[in-house]
Amino acid sequence: MWLVELSTSTSSGILYPEPMANVLHLEGLSRRFGALTALEDLTFDVPSGQVVGFLGPNGAGKTTTMRAIFGLTDLDAGVVWWNGGVVGQSERRRFGYMPEERGLYPGMLVGEQLTYLGRLHGMSANAAAAAAASWLERLGIADRAKSKVEALSHGNQQRVQMAAALLHDPELLVLDEPLAGLDPSGIDVIGEVLATQARAGCCVIFSSHQLDQVENLCESVVIIDQGRLVVTGRVDELATSGPRRLVVRVEGDRSGSWASGIAGVTISEVKGGVVRLVLDDDVDSDSLLALARGAGRITEFVFERRRLSEVFREAVG
Amino acid sequence: MKFVLIPVLVVVAALRIWTRRRRRQTSPRSPRPWLTSIKSAVGLVAVREMRERLRGRIFKVGTVFILVVVAAAIIIPVLHNNSRQPPQKIGVVGNLPVSFRTTVESSAKGVGDTLQFVAEPSVKHAKVDLRSGRIDIAIINGLQLVIGHPLSATNSSVDAQLVLALAKNVGFARAVQAAHLSTSQSETLAAAKALPVTSIESGRKRAVDSTSLIGVILIFVMLSQYNTWILIGVMEEKSSRVIEVLLSAVRPIQLLTGKVMGIGLVALAQASLIVAFALALSRAVGSNLTHGTAPLVLVSTLVWLVLGYAFYSWVYAAAGSMAERQDQVQSLALPLSLPMIFGYVMALTQVSSGYPTTLLKILAYLPPTAPFAMPVLVGFGAATWWEFLSSVLISVACTVGVARVAATVYRRSILRTGGRVRVREVFSDAWR
Repeated sequence: MWLVELSTSTSSGILYPEPMANVLHLEGLSRRFGALTALEDLTFDVPSGQVVGFLGPNGAGKTTTMRAIFGLTDLDAGVVWWNGGVVGQSERRRFGYMPEERGLYPGMLVGEQLTYLGRLHGMSANAAAAAAASWLERLGIADRAKSKVEALSHGNQQRVQMAAALLHDPELLVLDEPLAGLDPSGIDVIGEVLATQARAGCCVIFSSHQLDQVENLCESVVIIDQGRLVVTGRVDELATSGPRRLVVRVEGDRSGSWASGIAGVTISEVKGGVVRLVLDDDVDSDSLLALARGAGRITEFVFERRRLSEVFREAVG
Repeated sequence: MKFVLIPVLVVVAALRIWTRRRRRQTSPRSPRPWLTSIKSAVGLVAVREMRERLRGRIFKVGTVFILVVVAAAIIIPVLHNNSRQPPQKIGVVGNLPVSFRTTVESSAKGVGDTLQFVAEPSVKHAKVDLRSGRIDIAIINGLQLVIGHPLSATNSSVDAQLVLALAKNVGFARAVQAAHLSTSQSETLAAAKALPVTSIESGRKRAVDSTSLIGVILIFVMLSQYNTWILIGVMEEKSSRVIEVLLSAVRPIQLLTGKVMGIGLVALAQASLIVAFALALSRAVGSNLTHGTAPLVLVSTLVWLVLGYAFYSWVYAAAGSMAERQDQVQSLALPLSLPMIFGYVMALTQVSSGYPTTLLKILAYLPPTAPFAMPVLVGFGAATWWEFLSSVLISVACTVGVARVAATVYRRSILRTGGRVRVREVFSDAWR
């Protein structure tokens, strides 16, 4: 389990974090709704240049956290920082947000609506109109600019919503379940857009329950449960973290008996002739390879990466 | 015009002083980007509201409908007045002495009518002409009047008045003739005038009554329409969830103010169009709507339309933020409209009763009912300029208070979904 180490911040909010370039820092966020605890001393960072997956079971507090970034819910405690300063209305106008419950004016034309939203974020009329046209083109729905939103399919409405979050070239992109309801090509388009934005220096954080997609799209993840941070870190580090796991298939020994009784080696699963082993740190893999060879011809011998879904399940129980 | 100009000037001056004092208190003389952004956000929201409303079919059809109704209300009375012009045709059978003829003519003049005598050779001919409508009344040998249909007790038409006047006056002329009075005595009797009747209350012109009536109806219709727009508009932003996207970029108060301003400007534009159309049409067709104090009542109606909208719009916006479905809106709309309906009915009753009561004078100072009561008081000539101004200032002050409470309710309710928000919940700490 990884917990964020912050040298300059405390949950009390007394010490200010040192200024950094394009970093969202959530510090000690707490929120209760009556008897329900939505957030409890939640602290984590979203650095620029990365796509960060925001994970947690239903009711974990993801949406409340995202709404807190935009001041859409009051906090009992905690502060949202942006580049070393407390987030206010002027900062929020430079952020892009795609809420979980999609929202657009149903009877308004797509192009006009995007231009309007762009202008609310401080763009000029011409710049907003040009950006709207550009994003509609990029998201593959340029021909629907003159359509009313209510006339679009669910997937296309989702793309318009995505364009609304992107068209003012935000410094921070907060997307609540952006992949829900999209077909594979839609997911590819959104994934490519998020990666491009992150490479351009934008902070990107999005929530999703599609863990395989998150694993493919994100460099880092933040996992919360019951309003508290439980895991955070880079996806590749999480995949290789914990005890080493070895997958071995030996012809002629489908029961994996060759591996039993070895010190520091635990058989976690035997299925279809494939043996999954969990190795202690001091176990020498070359020795294991030699033992396996002695049992028969080796057809598979590979160290297994942890899937994000496994990390998630371990983290939230 | 001082009724309108003085309050407007005072309100504008007060607003300027207030904004200048706030500027001095809140910031140095340097440019204030936040203020620019607030103004810009409010303006953007207002312009979107105006554009969407002006495009809507309801607005276009509604405006045309109101203009048609106003045109009918102006033109029909004018046509009705003009329809009195054709002269009444009096068939004369036998000899009608000159003195009798003079009596007949003066009787017609007395009821505001003109005459044309038609000589009839016989009673039989006269009856045929009566049936065919060629003549309206026949005088048989100065002794008898014959008409087509019997007069009813409730008939107050010019025809009936003329018949009754002829019956009475020609009969009186016959009696004078039978009395064999001297010429001077006859002239004295003929010159007899009815006693003058004077009223202790000041006189009112009929035109003011109809203008007040039109004004009160216009205020009620427009306040109902535009406040419903506010109510539904706020509810739809909440139910469509677009509100979260909007509030990620602008503050709730900016969004609310922009909406109220945008819809209010559409209302003011529509009302101004209707009033300008009414005045222009009245002038063109010669209606008495442009005479006397009627224009003052119309302008006063516009002022109170703005003040009434300003007061009620915040209340309706706050209510809209507490609902997220159509049925919830309907249950909220009824109690909100009760004070408006009360003020409207009371004002209408007073217009038709013909004089202002104490109740009307009280209602003219209460912001929920003043938009209906004060223009009627102005129509009666029963409000001085300082009374008018006092009512305006009370209304403005209350509107500021209502707007502050409404903004709080809006901010706390607009993002709460999952059922209608109760007032108790809005002000409880758990749902800040």
